Amino acid sequence: MNLSLCHENGFYRAGGNLSAKWRISRVPLDEVQGIEVSVMWHTEGKGDEDLHVHHFQRLAENQIRRVGLADEQSICCVLPVTPLSYHGRLISVQWCVRMRLFLANGREIVAEQPFYLVSEKMAVPHSVEAIKSPLSLPQSTDSHNEKVVDHSSAS
Amino acid sequence: MPRFPKPWSKKRGKRNLGNSLAGEAGEVAFYAAVFLVGVFGLSLVLINEVAPESVAQVPTDALRTGLSTWVIGVLSLAALVTGGASLLYRLARIGASSERRSAIAKMAGSIEMLGPSADDGQPLPSVPKGSAITESPGERLTYRLAAEKTKASIAGPATLALLWSSVWFVLLAVVVSGFWYGRPRWYLAMLLVPFAVIGVWSFRFFMTQFRQHAGVGPTIVEISNHPLFPGRQYRLFVSQTGRLKLKRLTVQLTCEEETFYRQGTDVRVDRHEAICQVIFKERNVAVDPQAPWEQQLQLDLPENVMHSFVGTHNAIRWKIVVIGESQPWPSFCRSFPVVVHPPGLPLKRNPR
Repeated sequence: MNLSLCHENGFYRAGGNLSAKWRISRVPLDEVQGIEVSVMWHTEGKGDEDLHVHHFQRLAENQIRRVGLADEQSICCVLPVTPLSYHGRLISVQWCVRMRLFLANGREIVAEQPFYLVSEKMAVPHSVEAIKSPLSLPQSTDSHNEKVVDHSSAS
Repeated sequence: MPRFPKPWSKKRGKRNLGNSLAGEAGEVAFYAAVFLVGVFGLSLVLINEVAPESVAQVPTDALRTGLSTWVIGVLSLAALVTGGASLLYRLARIGASSERRSAIAKMAGSIEMLGPSADDGQPLPSVPKGSAITESPGERLTYRLAAEKTKASIAGPATLALLWSSVWFVLLAVVVSGFWYGRPRWYLAMLLVPFAVIGVWSFRFFMTQFRQHAGVGPTIVEISNHPLFPGRQYRLFVSQTGRLKLKRLTVQLTCEEETFYRQGTDVRVDRHEAICQVIFKERNVAVDPQAPWEQQLQLDLPENVMHSFVGTHNAIRWKIVVIGESQPWPSFCRSFPVVVHPPGLPLKRNPR
Protein backbone atom coordinates (compact mmCIF):
# COMPACT_ATOMS: atom_id res chain seq x y z
CA MET A 1 0.00 0.00 0.00
CA ASN A 2 1.31 3.43 -0.85
CA LEU A 3 0.02 6.42 1.09
CA SER A 4 1.38 9.92 0.53
CA LEU A 5 0.54 13.38 1.81
CA CYS A 6 0.44 16.64 -0.15
CA HIS A 7 2.96 18.38 2.16
CA GLU A 8 6.33 16.72 2.05
CA ASN A 9 7.44 18.00 5.47
CA GLY A 10 4.26 16.68 7.10
CA PHE A 11 3.32 19.98 8.77
CA TYR A 12 -0.25 21.16 8.38
CA ARG A 13 -1.74 24.35 9.69
CA ALA A 14 -4.80 24.08 11.91
CA GLY A 15 -7.92 24.69 9.83
CA GLY A 16 -6.01 24.12 6.56
CA ASN A 17 -6.58 21.62 3.77
CA LEU A 18 -5.13 18.16 3.64
CA SER A 19 -5.07 15.88 0.64
CA ALA A 20 -3.57 12.43 0.51
CA LYS A 21 -3.13 9.93 -2.29
CA TRP A 22 -3.21 6.19 -1.95
CA ARG A 23 -2.73 3.18 -4.11
CA ILE A 24 -2.84 -0.57 -3.58
CA SER A 25 -0.63 -2.78 -5.61
CA ARG A 26 0.18 -6.48 -5.82
CA VAL A 27 -3.14 -7.47 -4.24
CA PRO A 28 -5.69 -9.26 -6.47
CA LEU A 29 -8.94 -7.33 -6.79
CA ASP A 30 -11.11 -10.29 -5.82
CA GLU A 31 -9.25 -10.69 -2.51
CA VAL A 32 -10.11 -7.19 -1.28
CA GLN A 33 -13.30 -6.96 0.73
CA GLY A 34 -13.13 -3.39 1.92
CA ILE A 35 -10.93 -0.34 2.30
CA GLU A 36 -11.17 2.31 5.00
CA VAL A 37 -9.27 5.58 4.85
CA SER A 38 -9.38 7.86 7.90
CA VAL A 39 -7.91 11.21 8.82
CA MET A 40 -7.71 10.97 12.58
CA TRP A 41 -5.86 11.69 15.76
CA HIS A 42 -5.04 9.28 18.52
CA THR A 43 -3.13 9.44 21.75
CA GLU A 44 -0.05 7.45 22.57
CA GLY A 45 1.60 6.97 25.92
CA LYS A 46 0.93 5.49 29.29
CA GLY A 47 -2.83 5.97 29.36
CA ASP A 48 -5.48 4.12 27.42
CA GLU A 49 -5.77 5.29 23.84
CA ASP A 50 -8.14 8.07 22.83
CA LEU A 51 -9.06 8.06 19.17
CA HIS A 52 -11.14 10.42 17.09
CA VAL A 53 -11.78 10.16 13.38
CA HIS A 54 -12.09 13.53 11.67
CA HIS A 55 -12.70 12.28 8.13
CA PHE A 56 -13.73 8.75 7.21
CA GLN A 57 -14.17 7.06 3.88
CA ARG A 58 -15.12 3.41 3.38
CA LEU A 59 -15.13 1.58 0.08
CA ALA A 60 -17.26 -1.54 0.12
CA GLU A 61 -16.54 -4.57 -2.08
CA ASN A 62 -18.80 -3.50 -4.97
CA GLN A 63 -17.35 0.02 -4.97
CA ILE A 64 -13.83 -1.39 -5.14
CA ARG A 65 -14.84 -3.59 -8.08
CA ARG A 66 -16.22 -0.53 -9.85
CA VAL A 67 -13.26 1.77 -9.14
CA GLY A 68 -10.51 -0.85 -9.42
CA LEU A 69 -7.10 -0.84 -7.81
CA ALA A 70 -4.98 0.22 -10.73
CA ASP A 71 -5.46 3.99 -10.42
CA GLU A 72 -4.23 6.22 -7.64
CA GLN A 73 -7.07 7.42 -5.38
CA SER A 74 -7.16 10.54 -3.27
CA ILE A 75 -8.95 11.98 -0.28
CA CYS A 76 -9.27 15.61 0.71
CA CYS A 77 -10.54 17.30 3.84
CA VAL A 78 -10.37 20.49 5.86
CA LEU A 79 -8.50 19.92 9.10
CA PRO A 80 -9.92 21.11 12.42
CA VAL A 81 -8.36 23.77 14.60
CA THR A 82 -7.63 21.41 17.51
CA PRO A 83 -6.21 19.26 19.00
CA LEU A 84 -2.75 20.27 17.89
CA SER A 85 0.03 17.70 17.75
CA TYR A 86 1.77 17.26 21.09
CA HIS A 87 4.60 15.17 22.45
CA GLY A 88 4.78 14.96 26.22
CA ARG A 89 6.05 12.47 28.74
CA LEU A 90 2.77 10.68 29.46
CA ILE A 91 0.70 11.76 26.47
CA SER A 92 1.32 12.27 22.79
CA VAL A 93 -1.36 13.51 20.42
CA GLN A 94 -0.58 12.08 17.03
CA TRP A 95 -2.40 12.94 13.80
CA CYS A 96 -2.29 10.50 10.91
CA VAL A 97 -3.93 9.26 7.76
CA ARG A 98 -4.71 5.61 8.37
CA MET A 99 -5.65 3.13 5.72
CA ARG A 100 -7.09 -0.28 6.51
CA LEU A 101 -7.37 -2.98 3.91
CA PHE A 102 -9.73 -5.90 4.61
CA LEU A 103 -8.80 -9.13 2.81
CA ALA A 104 -11.00 -12.09 2.04
CA ASN A 105 -9.09 -14.46 4.34
CA GLY A 106 -9.88 -12.29 7.38
CA ARG A 107 -6.57 -10.49 7.45
CA GLU A 108 -6.27 -6.73 7.75
CA ILE A 109 -3.40 -4.60 6.52
CA VAL A 110 -3.01 -1.22 8.15
CA ALA A 111 -0.87 1.58 6.76
CA GLU A 112 -0.38 4.85 8.57
CA GLN A 113 1.12 8.17 7.49
CA PRO A 114 1.64 10.52 10.45
CA PHE A 115 1.61 14.29 10.13
CA TYR A 116 1.75 17.28 12.46
CA LEU A 117 -1.14 19.66 13.03
CA VAL A 118 0.36 22.97 14.12
CA SER A 119 -1.04 26.42 14.80
CA GLU A 120 -0.38 29.33 12.46
CA LYS A 121 2.12 30.93 14.81
CA MET A 122 4.11 27.80 15.38
CA ALA A 123 6.93 26.36 13.38
CA VAL A 124 7.19 23.11 15.35
CA PRO A 125 4.62 21.02 17.22
CA HIS A 126 4.12 21.45 20.96
CA SER A 127 6.57 19.51 23.00
CA VAL A 128 7.69 19.60 26.58
CA GLU A 129 11.22 18.84 25.45
CA ALA A 130 11.02 21.02 22.34
CA ILE A 131 13.71 23.40 23.54
CA LYS A 132 16.04 20.66 24.75
CA SER A 133 15.79 18.27 21.84
CA PRO A 134 14.35 19.15 18.44
CA LEU A 135 11.63 16.87 17.19
CA SER A 136 12.21 14.51 14.38
CA LEU A 137 10.13 15.14 11.33
CA PRO A 138 7.59 12.58 10.23
CA GLN A 139 8.74 9.91 7.89
CA SER A 140 9.11 10.79 4.25
CA THR A 141 6.03 10.49 2.12
CA ASP A 142 7.23 7.37 0.41
CA SER A 143 7.69 5.38 3.56
CA HIS A 144 4.97 4.83 6.11
CA ASN A 145 4.13 2.45 8.93
CA GLU A 146 2.47 -0.67 7.68
CA LYS A 147 1.41 -3.67 9.66
CA VAL A 148 -0.66 -6.75 9.15
CA VAL A 149 -3.40 -7.60 11.62
CA ASP A 150 -4.54 -11.18 11.44
CA HIS A 151 -8.18 -11.39 12.43
CA SER A 152 -8.85 -14.65 10.65
CA SER A 153 -9.23 -16.50 13.95
CA ALA A 154 -11.84 -14.01 15.14
CA SER A 155 -14.01 -14.18 12.05
CA MET B 1 5.73 -25.82 24.56
CA PRO B 2 2.64 -23.86 23.45
CA ARG B 3 1.45 -21.32 26.01
CA PHE B 4 -2.17 -21.20 27.04
CA PRO B 5 -3.58 -17.80 25.99
CA LYS B 6 -4.45 -15.58 28.96
CA PRO B 7 -8.08 -14.42 28.92
CA TRP B 8 -7.05 -10.87 29.85
CA SER B 9 -4.70 -8.16 28.65
CA LYS B 10 -2.76 -5.70 30.78
CA LYS B 11 -1.16 -2.35 30.12
CA ARG B 12 2.39 -1.98 31.35
CA GLY B 13 3.56 1.53 30.62
CA LYS B 14 3.21 2.02 26.90
CA ARG B 15 3.05 -1.70 26.15
CA ASN B 16 0.03 -3.97 26.13
CA LEU B 17 0.75 -7.37 27.64
CA GLY B 18 -1.23 -10.34 26.42
CA ASN B 19 -3.32 -10.87 23.36
CA SER B 20 -6.06 -8.24 22.99
CA LEU B 21 -8.30 -10.79 21.25
CA ALA B 22 -7.91 -13.20 24.18
CA GLY B 23 -8.74 -10.31 26.51
CA GLU B 24 -11.93 -9.58 24.57
CA ALA B 25 -12.86 -13.27 24.59
CA GLY B 26 -12.27 -13.37 28.35
CA GLU B 27 -14.53 -10.34 28.86
CA VAL B 28 -17.24 -11.87 26.69
CA ALA B 29 -17.05 -15.13 28.65
CA PHE B 30 -17.23 -13.27 31.96
CA TYR B 31 -20.26 -11.20 30.99
CA ALA B 32 -21.96 -14.25 29.52
CA ALA B 33 -21.44 -16.06 32.84
CA VAL B 34 -22.89 -13.10 34.77
CA PHE B 35 -25.89 -13.05 32.42
CA LEU B 36 -26.48 -16.80 32.83
CA VAL B 37 -26.17 -16.63 36.62
CA GLY B 38 -28.79 -13.87 36.51
CA VAL B 39 -31.10 -16.02 34.37
CA PHE B 40 -30.66 -18.98 36.74
CA GLY B 41 -31.33 -16.92 39.88
CA LEU B 42 -34.35 -15.17 38.40
CA SER B 43 -35.74 -18.53 37.24
CA LEU B 44 -35.47 -19.91 40.79
CA VAL B 45 -37.28 -16.89 42.18
CA LEU B 46 -40.04 -17.05 39.56
CA ILE B 47 -40.54 -20.78 40.12
CA ASN B 48 -40.76 -20.20 43.85
CA GLU B 49 -43.22 -17.34 43.50
CA VAL B 50 -45.42 -18.53 40.64
CA ALA B 51 -45.61 -22.32 40.91
CA PRO B 52 -43.73 -23.75 43.89
CA GLU B 53 -45.84 -26.92 44.11
CA SER B 54 -45.77 -27.82 40.43
CA VAL B 55 -42.00 -28.35 40.34
CA ALA B 56 -41.26 -30.81 43.07
CA GLN B 57 -37.56 -31.19 42.25
CA VAL B 58 -36.69 -27.56 42.83
CA PRO B 59 -35.40 -27.03 46.39
CA THR B 60 -37.32 -23.91 47.25
CA ASP B 61 -36.99 -24.11 51.02
CA ALA B 62 -34.18 -21.58 51.02
CA LEU B 63 -36.36 -19.12 49.19
CA ARG B 64 -39.39 -19.61 51.40
CA THR B 65 -39.10 -16.28 53.25
CA GLY B 66 -40.32 -13.20 51.40
CA LEU B 67 -37.27 -11.03 52.05
CA SER B 68 -34.68 -13.50 50.78
CA THR B 69 -36.76 -14.11 47.66
CA TRP B 70 -36.82 -10.43 46.86
CA VAL B 71 -33.11 -9.98 47.59
CA ILE B 72 -32.16 -12.87 45.30
CA GLY B 73 -34.63 -11.62 42.70
CA VAL B 74 -33.19 -8.11 42.63
CA LEU B 75 -29.59 -9.39 42.53
CA SER B 76 -30.44 -11.81 39.74
CA LEU B 77 -32.17 -9.10 37.74
CA ALA B 78 -29.16 -6.80 38.19
CA ALA B 79 -26.79 -9.56 37.06
CA LEU B 80 -29.03 -10.32 34.07
CA VAL B 81 -29.24 -6.69 32.91
CA THR B 82 -25.55 -5.90 33.57
CA GLY B 83 -24.30 -9.09 31.97
CA GLY B 84 -26.62 -8.80 28.96
CA ALA B 85 -25.87 -5.13 28.25
CA SER B 86 -22.12 -5.56 28.70
CA LEU B 87 -22.14 -8.67 26.53
CA LEU B 88 -23.94 -6.86 23.70
CA TYR B 89 -21.58 -3.89 24.02
CA ARG B 90 -18.49 -6.10 23.84
CA LEU B 91 -19.86 -8.09 20.90
CA ALA B 92 -20.66 -4.90 18.99
CA ARG B 93 -17.03 -3.78 19.36
CA ILE B 94 -15.53 -6.95 17.91
CA GLY B 95 -16.84 -6.69 14.36
CA ALA B 96 -15.66 -3.19 13.35
CA SER B 97 -12.38 -1.32 13.21
CA SER B 98 -11.73 1.35 15.82
CA GLU B 99 -11.79 4.08 13.14
CA ARG B 100 -15.18 2.94 11.88
CA ARG B 101 -16.63 2.86 15.41
CA SER B 102 -15.32 6.36 16.02
CA ALA B 103 -16.80 7.59 12.71
CA ILE B 104 -20.18 6.02 13.55
CA ALA B 105 -20.12 7.61 17.00
CA LYS B 106 -19.28 10.97 15.44
CA MET B 107 -22.11 10.60 12.91
CA ALA B 108 -24.57 9.59 15.66
CA GLY B 109 -23.54 12.61 17.71
CA SER B 110 -24.23 14.98 14.82
CA ILE B 111 -27.83 13.81 14.31
CA GLU B 112 -30.20 16.56 15.37
CA MET B 113 -32.93 15.09 17.57
CA LEU B 114 -34.78 18.04 19.04
CA GLY B 115 -32.45 20.90 18.34
CA PRO B 116 -28.85 21.67 17.57
CA SER B 117 -26.39 19.27 19.13
CA ALA B 118 -24.11 20.25 21.95
CA ASP B 119 -21.06 20.30 19.68
CA ASP B 120 -22.49 22.86 17.29
CA GLY B 121 -21.20 25.73 19.33
CA GLN B 122 -17.84 24.03 19.90
CA PRO B 123 -15.33 25.45 17.45
CA LEU B 124 -12.39 23.84 19.25
CA PRO B 125 -12.74 20.05 19.41
CA SER B 126 -11.21 18.39 22.48
CA VAL B 127 -10.66 21.74 24.20
CA PRO B 128 -12.76 22.23 27.35
CA LYS B 129 -15.20 25.13 27.11
CA GLY B 130 -14.46 26.37 30.61
CA SER B 131 -17.77 28.20 30.77
CA ALA B 132 -18.02 27.44 34.50
CA ILE B 133 -14.78 29.35 35.05
CA THR B 134 -16.22 32.61 33.72
CA GLU B 135 -19.51 32.36 35.61
CA SER B 136 -18.31 34.21 38.71
CA PRO B 137 -17.39 37.88 38.39
CA GLY B 138 -14.44 39.07 40.43
CA GLU B 139 -14.21 42.06 42.78
CA ARG B 140 -10.77 43.27 41.72
CA LEU B 141 -10.43 41.67 38.29
CA THR B 142 -12.85 40.33 35.69
CA TYR B 143 -13.28 36.71 36.76
CA ARG B 144 -13.02 34.90 40.07
CA LEU B 145 -11.64 31.42 39.46
CA ALA B 146 -13.32 28.43 41.06
CA ALA B 147 -11.11 26.18 43.16
CA GLU B 148 -10.76 22.54 42.21
CA LYS B 149 -12.62 20.40 44.70
CA THR B 150 -10.25 18.63 47.01
CA LYS B 151 -10.67 14.89 47.30
CA ALA B 152 -9.96 14.87 51.04
CA SER B 153 -13.16 15.68 52.88
CA ILE B 154 -13.77 15.96 56.61
CA ALA B 155 -16.95 13.83 56.44
CA GLY B 156 -15.07 10.53 55.97
CA PRO B 157 -12.65 10.87 58.92
CA ALA B 158 -15.48 12.20 61.12
CA THR B 159 -17.74 9.24 60.28
CA LEU B 160 -14.91 6.77 60.84
CA ALA B 161 -13.96 8.28 64.22
CA LEU B 162 -17.58 8.48 65.36
CA LEU B 163 -18.57 4.95 64.32
CA TRP B 164 -15.40 3.38 65.69
CA SER B 165 -15.78 5.20 69.02
CA SER B 166 -19.45 4.14 69.22
CA VAL B 167 -18.58 0.49 68.61
CA TRP B 168 -15.79 0.68 71.19
CA PHE B 169 -18.14 2.10 73.83
CA VAL B 170 -20.75 -0.59 73.11
CA LEU B 171 -18.08 -3.27 73.60
CA LEU B 172 -16.94 -1.53 76.76
CA ALA B 173 -20.51 -1.63 78.08
CA VAL B 174 -20.69 -5.38 77.33
CA VAL B 175 -17.39 -6.01 79.17
CA VAL B 176 -18.39 -3.88 82.17
CA SER B 177 -21.79 -5.59 82.42
CA GLY B 178 -20.02 -8.97 82.33
CA PHE B 179 -17.85 -8.01 85.28
CA TRP B 180 -20.91 -6.57 87.06
CA TYR B 181 -22.88 -9.82 86.82
CA GLY B 182 -19.91 -12.02 87.69
CA ARG B 183 -19.38 -13.40 84.14
CA PRO B 184 -16.25 -11.62 82.91
CA ARG B 185 -15.46 -11.73 79.17
CA TRP B 186 -11.67 -11.71 79.18
CA TYR B 187 -11.13 -12.09 75.43
CA LEU B 188 -13.40 -9.17 74.70
CA ALA B 189 -11.72 -7.12 77.42
CA MET B 190 -8.30 -7.77 75.84
CA LEU B 191 -9.60 -6.85 72.40
CA LEU B 192 -10.62 -3.46 73.76
CA VAL B 193 -6.94 -2.38 73.93
CA PRO B 194 -6.09 -2.66 70.18
CA PHE B 195 -9.53 -1.33 69.34
CA ALA B 196 -8.80 1.69 71.53
CA VAL B 197 -5.51 2.27 69.66
CA ILE B 198 -7.37 2.31 66.34
CA GLY B 199 -9.95 4.64 67.88
CA VAL B 200 -7.24 7.08 68.99
CA TRP B 201 -5.63 6.99 65.55
CA SER B 202 -8.96 7.68 63.80
CA PHE B 203 -9.66 10.56 66.20
CA ARG B 204 -6.23 12.10 65.61
CA PHE B 205 -6.70 11.76 61.85
CA PHE B 206 -10.05 13.50 62.14
CA MET B 207 -8.45 16.30 64.22
CA THR B 208 -5.72 16.81 61.60
CA GLN B 209 -8.30 17.14 58.84
CA PHE B 210 -10.44 19.40 61.01
CA ARG B 211 -7.53 21.72 61.75
CA GLN B 212 -6.71 21.93 58.06
CA HIS B 213 -10.29 22.87 57.21
CA ALA B 214 -10.82 25.24 60.12
CA GLY B 215 -7.44 26.98 60.28
CA VAL B 216 -6.80 27.74 56.63
CA GLY B 217 -9.28 30.26 55.30
CA PRO B 218 -10.49 30.45 51.72
CA THR B 219 -8.11 31.33 48.90
CA ILE B 220 -9.35 33.77 46.26
CA VAL B 221 -7.82 33.97 42.80
CA GLU B 222 -9.07 36.44 40.19
CA ILE B 223 -7.86 36.91 36.63
CA SER B 224 -8.16 39.74 34.13
CA ASN B 225 -9.23 37.64 31.13
CA HIS B 226 -10.18 34.12 30.18
CA PRO B 227 -9.50 31.85 28.23
CA LEU B 228 -5.75 32.29 28.11
CA PHE B 229 -3.63 32.44 24.96
CA PRO B 230 0.07 31.52 24.73
CA GLY B 231 2.44 34.47 24.65
CA ARG B 232 0.04 36.91 26.32
CA GLN B 233 0.12 38.64 29.69
CA TYR B 234 -2.62 38.56 32.31
CA ARG B 235 -3.16 40.24 35.64
CA LEU B 236 -3.79 38.06 38.65
CA PHE B 237 -5.13 38.85 42.10
CA VAL B 238 -4.53 36.37 44.92
CA SER B 239 -5.94 36.64 48.42
CA GLN B 240 -5.49 34.29 51.40
CA THR B 241 -7.61 34.55 54.50
CA GLY B 242 -7.50 32.80 57.86
CA ARG B 243 -5.21 32.97 60.87
CA LEU B 244 -1.90 31.66 59.61
CA LYS B 245 1.82 32.06 59.86
CA LEU B 246 3.16 30.66 56.64
CA LYS B 247 6.74 29.60 56.30
CA ARG B 248 6.42 29.91 52.54
CA LEU B 249 3.68 30.91 50.11
CA THR B 250 3.97 30.08 46.42
CA VAL B 251 1.73 30.92 43.48
CA GLN B 252 2.51 29.01 40.31
CA LEU B 253 1.13 28.18 36.91
CA THR B 254 1.26 24.50 36.03
CA CYS B 255 0.47 22.36 33.02
CA GLU B 256 -0.31 18.79 34.01
CA GLU B 257 -0.58 15.70 31.86
CA GLU B 258 -3.20 13.31 33.20
CA THR B 259 -3.79 9.79 31.97
CA PHE B 260 -6.22 7.07 32.97
CA TYR B 261 -5.43 3.45 32.29
CA ARG B 262 -6.75 0.08 33.27
CA GLN B 263 -4.51 -2.28 35.17
CA GLY B 264 -6.36 -5.52 35.64
CA THR B 265 -9.74 -4.51 37.02
CA ASP B 266 -8.45 -1.22 38.49
CA VAL B 267 -8.55 2.15 36.79
CA ARG B 268 -5.40 4.07 37.64
CA VAL B 269 -4.51 7.71 37.17
CA ASP B 270 -1.06 9.04 36.47
CA ARG B 271 -0.12 12.71 36.47
CA HIS B 272 2.99 14.52 35.33
CA GLU B 273 3.73 18.21 35.75
CA ALA B 274 4.94 19.15 32.28
CA ILE B 275 5.37 22.90 32.92
CA CYS B 276 5.67 24.72 36.25
CA GLN B 277 6.16 28.48 36.23
CA VAL B 278 6.53 30.17 39.62
CA ILE B 279 4.66 33.47 39.55
CA PHE B 280 5.25 34.50 43.15
CA LYS B 281 7.17 33.18 46.14
CA GLU B 282 7.51 34.69 49.59
CA ARG B 283 8.79 33.51 52.98
CA ASN B 284 7.35 34.21 56.44
CA VAL B 285 3.90 35.38 55.44
CA ALA B 286 1.52 36.37 58.26
CA VAL B 287 -2.20 36.12 57.59
CA ASP B 288 -4.69 37.63 60.01
CA PRO B 289 -8.51 37.43 59.88
CA GLN B 290 -8.60 41.23 59.95
CA ALA B 291 -5.90 41.63 57.31
CA PRO B 292 -5.88 38.92 54.67
CA TRP B 293 -2.81 38.52 52.53
CA GLU B 294 -3.41 40.10 49.10
CA GLN B 295 -1.19 40.46 46.08
CA GLN B 296 -1.52 41.75 42.51
CA LEU B 297 0.57 39.60 40.18
CA GLN B 298 1.38 39.37 36.51
CA LEU B 299 1.08 36.11 34.63
CA ASP B 300 3.13 35.66 31.46
CA LEU B 301 1.97 32.61 29.57
CA PRO B 302 4.89 31.21 27.57
CA GLU B 303 4.71 30.92 23.81
CA ASN B 304 4.65 27.59 22.02
CA VAL B 305 2.83 25.70 24.77
CA MET B 306 0.11 23.13 24.32
CA HIS B 307 -3.50 24.20 24.71
CA SER B 308 -5.88 22.55 27.21
CA PHE B 309 -6.96 19.16 25.99
CA VAL B 310 -9.54 16.68 27.27
CA GLY B 311 -10.03 13.22 25.83
CA THR B 312 -11.76 10.17 27.27
CA HIS B 313 -8.64 8.79 28.94
CA ASN B 314 -6.11 11.59 28.59
CA ALA B 315 -6.06 15.27 29.46
CA ILE B 316 -3.74 18.26 29.55
CA ARG B 317 -4.86 20.65 32.28
CA TRP B 318 -3.64 24.13 33.09
CA LYS B 319 -4.12 25.50 36.57
CA ILE B 320 -3.00 28.21 38.94
CA VAL B 321 -1.81 26.61 42.16
CA VAL B 322 -1.47 28.32 45.54
CA ILE B 323 0.75 26.39 47.97
CA GLY B 324 1.20 27.35 51.60
CA GLU B 325 3.59 25.75 54.07
CA SER B 326 2.35 26.66 57.49
CA GLN B 327 2.84 26.10 61.23
CA PRO B 328 1.07 24.84 63.33
CA TRP B 329 -1.63 24.17 60.71
CA PRO B 330 -0.93 21.55 58.07
CA SER B 331 0.29 22.75 54.67
CA PHE B 332 -2.29 23.36 51.96
CA CYS B 333 -2.36 23.31 48.18
CA ARG B 334 -5.27 24.75 46.21
CA SER B 335 -5.69 24.56 42.46
CA PHE B 336 -7.68 26.87 40.20
CA PRO B 337 -8.18 25.42 36.70
CA VAL B 338 -7.90 27.69 33.66
CA VAL B 339 -8.34 26.94 29.97
CA VAL B 340 -5.58 27.70 27.47
CA HIS B 341 -6.61 28.03 23.82
CA PRO B 342 -4.27 27.51 20.87
CA PRO B 343 -2.55 30.64 19.55
CA GLY B 344 -3.74 32.47 16.46
CA LEU B 345 -7.45 32.47 17.26
CA PRO B 346 -9.42 35.74 17.36
CA LEU B 347 -9.77 37.11 20.88
CA LYS B 348 -13.21 36.93 22.44
CA ARG B 349 -14.62 40.24 23.53
CA ASN B 350 -14.77 40.50 27.29
CA PRO B 351 -18.46 40.57 28.34
CA ARG B 352 -17.61 42.41 31.56
